[in-house]
Amino acid sequence: MKTGKELKPGTVIRLENDPWLVQKAEFTKSGRNSAIMKTKLKNLLTGYKTEIVYSADDKLDDVILDRKEATLSFISGDTYTFMDTTDYTMYELNAEDIEAVLPFIEEGMEDVCEAIFFEERLVSVELPTTIVRKVAYTEGSARGDTSGKVMKPAKLANGTELQVADFIEIDDLIEIDTREGGSYKGRAKK
Amino acid sequence: MKARWDIFCSVVDNYGDIGVTWRLARQLVAEHACDVCLWVDDLRAFERMCPQIDVQQDLQWQEGVEVRHWPAKWVKVPAADVVIAAFACQLPPDYMEAMAERERVPLWMNLDYLSAEDWVVGCHRLPSVKFKGVQKYFFFPGFRPGTGGLLREAGLLERRRAFQQDAGAQRDFLQALGIVPALDARLISLFAYENAGLASWLDVLSTDGCATHLLVPEGRILGDVQRWLGVDRLVAGDIQQRGSLTVQVIAFVRQEQYDRLLWCCDFNAVRGEDSFVRAQWAGRPLLWHIYRQDEDIHLDKLDAFLELYTADLSPAASAALIGLWQAWNTEGDMAQPWKMLLEHWPEVNLHAEAWCLEQGLQADLATALVQFYESWI
Repeated sequence: MKTGKELKPGTVIRLENDPWLVQKAEFTKSGRNSAIMKTKLKNLLTGYKTEIVYSADDKLDDVILDRKEATLSFISGDTYTFMDTTDYTMYELNAEDIEAVLPFIEEGMEDVCEAIFFEERLVSVELPTTIVRKVAYTEGSARGDTSGKVMKPAKLANGTELQVADFIEIDDLIEIDTREGGSYKGRAKK
Repeated sequence: MKARWDIFCSVVDNYGDIGVTWRLARQLVAEHACDVCLWVDDLRAFERMCPQIDVQQDLQWQEGVEVRHWPAKWVKVPAADVVIAAFACQLPPDYMEAMAERERVPLWMNLDYLSAEDWVVGCHRLPSVKFKGVQKYFFFPGFRPGTGGLLREAGLLERRRAFQQDAGAQRDFLQALGIVPALDARLISLFAYENAGLASWLDVLSTDGCATHLLVPEGRILGDVQRWLGVDRLVAGDIQQRGSLTVQVIAFVRQEQYDRLLWCCDFNAVRGEDSFVRAQWAGRPLLWHIYRQDEDIHLDKLDAFLELYTADLSPAASAALIGLWQAWNTEGDMAQPWKMLLEHWPEVNLHAEAWCLEQGLQADLATALVQFYESWI
């Protein structure tokens, strides 16, 4: 059993006997300390997609899933091919299935992801909590700040934009926390 | 055949829950010819704004609304065509069974809290859980197109404008409440939660060149007023003078009277949800004391509203208004922000009316609920 608050991309819940993959989950505090989770769901049997809002304390039947380690093999258009690191089996996912982690997926990444399987079918992947990416573009330091408190925008190689510390430069490696949409964590060692 | 609506109201704290649901219930009856039953778990709280309620009666009729006590031990009744759980309250399990037993499933809605945040548009009218085939939907009031709008009775703005143009009607109304402000006094209403910042505001009002008559309905802010005045107890009818400030405590009044009170005042300090909306319909400058939430989430909600509300103000007036609201909601020093607001008074005053008219262009909440039901069936 999972609560509405615990839903996250990659979770599969059972609604009226059908398995539904959570593709996106946005947690929001409503009024008087109550909260809701807006989800984007995909029916794993029919492919039908829908949006559902849950209260944080709604109880939902979750489906036990298999998890394996996998790495990104290649990208072709909207299709992302991952490889099982133990038996080298290739699995395909489309962009929508990994919408939540898409901003941090890029060609050549070596992160060992967690591939999520429902009845031997790959349905989603989760990135490690911390990943390292190279900054493709950012403006020079505006104020010469070295504290890390002043932030500025930066772009990754795949076009994803995020806020980084003011002292970060082009080609610097940065650590990103992939939870809750992804945020700059610090400068990584080269 | 008329649709029957059951509205469930669990009074958690204060009067916002019952204030909103009581207005909604009456409007659905008066303007949409609905059969409405309002289930209230705390009739004592209801009695404050509807004194004719008999708190001993489990079932009674008030202004065309069937009012029923929501007992701790539920007695099974048939479910209505439309079921509204106000402010995410949990329906009685036996009532949910009754919903599922209906031949034709009812429309089940969670009427959620009011927020100006942009995520509201994306969640409004979306489905939620199902209980034995009965689908729940989220319905959000709001300020933006694409939300459920705000509670606003038909003709409200016209009645308000006529009243504000009738000095005699205002004088008579105030006199009936025992309020006789000096002719040149600025009239302010103060309805708020406890607020340590109040003293600094009262300090500046009491030393102002302009006289202020402050009306304080009985409520949670009264303790702070007492402390500032240095008195042990204040009750309705008490009047205290400090410099240019007159403080008058007034009784908790019915909703219609409170509306008129807001219409009479030059400035309204309001709180929570119901009085906040009503102050906007008054078309006068206002100050909102938002309901405090864990992790200061309420400040994000305050900022979201301010971003919308101040969008058409000049940068200087906007900064003054934002400064005052933020000071009030962080219990900061109110003296300087109040003086800054006064410098932009004419613009802020005109803007309050313009904002009211702009919001009045949207469908009101009761109509939006009825339209949703009609499209759902």
